[in-house]
Amino acid sequence: MLVLWIVIARISDNPRTMPGPDAVAARIWQLAAAGELWFHAGMTLFRVLASFVLAMAVGLALGLWMGRSRTADHWLNPMLVIALNIPALVIIVLAYIWIGLNEVAAITAVALNKIPVVTVMLREGTRALRPDLDDLATAFRMSSLARLRHVVLPQLAPHIAAAARAGISLIWKIVLVVEFLGRSNGVGFKIHLLFSSFDVTGVLAWALSFVAVMLSIDLFLLRPWEARANRWRRDED
Amino acid sequence: MKIDLRAKSFGGRAVLGPIRLQVARGQRVALLGPSGIGKSTLLRIIAGLDRDFDGRVEGSDRLAIVFQEPTLLPWRRALENIIIAAGCDAATARDLMAQVGLAGREAHYPRQLSLGQQRRLALARAFAAGPDILLMDEPFASLDPETAARMIGLTAGLLERSGAGLILVTHDDSEPARLAATPLVLGGDPAVIGG
Repeated sequence: MLVLWIVIARISDNPRTMPGPDAVAARIWQLAAAGELWFHAGMTLFRVLASFVLAMAVGLALGLWMGRSRTADHWLNPMLVIALNIPALVIIVLAYIWIGLNEVAAITAVALNKIPVVTVMLREGTRALRPDLDDLATAFRMSSLARLRHVVLPQLAPHIAAAARAGISLIWKIVLVVEFLGRSNGVGFKIHLLFSSFDVTGVLAWALSFVAVMLSIDLFLLRPWEARANRWRRDED
Repeated sequence: MKIDLRAKSFGGRAVLGPIRLQVARGQRVALLGPSGIGKSTLLRIIAGLDRDFDGRVEGSDRLAIVFQEPTLLPWRRALENIIIAAGCDAATARDLMAQVGLAGREAHYPRQLSLGQQRRLALARAFAAGPDILLMDEPFASLDPETAARMIGLTAGLLERSGAGLILVTHDDSEPARLAATPLVLGGDPAVIGG
């Protein structure tokens, strides 16, 4: 990929619209040294994590409820279908108008975009819960909390992991749009400024640094958690 | 434990008719009858797993159940499987594992145990709950004769030591005698005791 990039940059021979990797790397270094990178990437990361936690929690609760109760599914499903089909941009614009140009609106808008997807994935997982283990929990009078922790959540773990994986990458893209439209810091805000001045090197520098942040989250947080949750499937230890 | 069942039906078809049954701590009964007669349904009603019936289940006895399949939590280790379900302390769980011959397997996941070991773990789990009455749903059905004999021996010993009562569902005529349980035959349509 790097070679391809170098070749294309050479052929286009226009460092303004198609800068080479060296120029972008130099810019990232410069931003990091100035401290600007850490502040704006930090703000974006904060928004990503806040809306991620919110979307996963609400989506898990709704998915469990809709998967368990036919009545809930019957009444909430039309709303879910509508929510799945509303463009992200519409939700963002409405959230900014109705709630105001603030952090709450930004995080709510991102979470609202993600909640329906998480709900659908976890509803399917909930429907596939094993009835014999339900009987076990009922017959041994396990508390709701113990049942959730030891019987339900371990069965949903693969679905939660899939939703988290798909979610975190979708969320950070929406966070950028939210920042582009109505925040005065974060990676999306910086890209907005650089877009006005057609600074492609800057846009790439910001985007790539944040891709690196997201990749490391996947590598150092999601993957180890998944491995730990799946430990019982392996034969060793 | 007392059950006063008037009727139980599935989709409009009556499966069980009027059934009265009373079992106290120390008493052992076996529900016999051909497959599909409704023995397991009756046991599920007693265990509180089926609440859609006409009648009453009374009594404050502690019940514990051994299902036909081991029904373990695959993501929890053997010892945790007992502690989580039975709500007992680790010492009790270890002691019961030793009694069913599973000492040293506490840290194994269920899939690392043989089917016979999984069934013994399920038996230990039921006794760890300290039941007044033990419910068993065809627990020896799909076992080879040797394993079944061993499981029956273990069950008899644990019942003796704990003083718990027993309601056993089975279609094998020889099992009630081997566990000193009074046989009650379910028959008729809808099924009743002695019908």
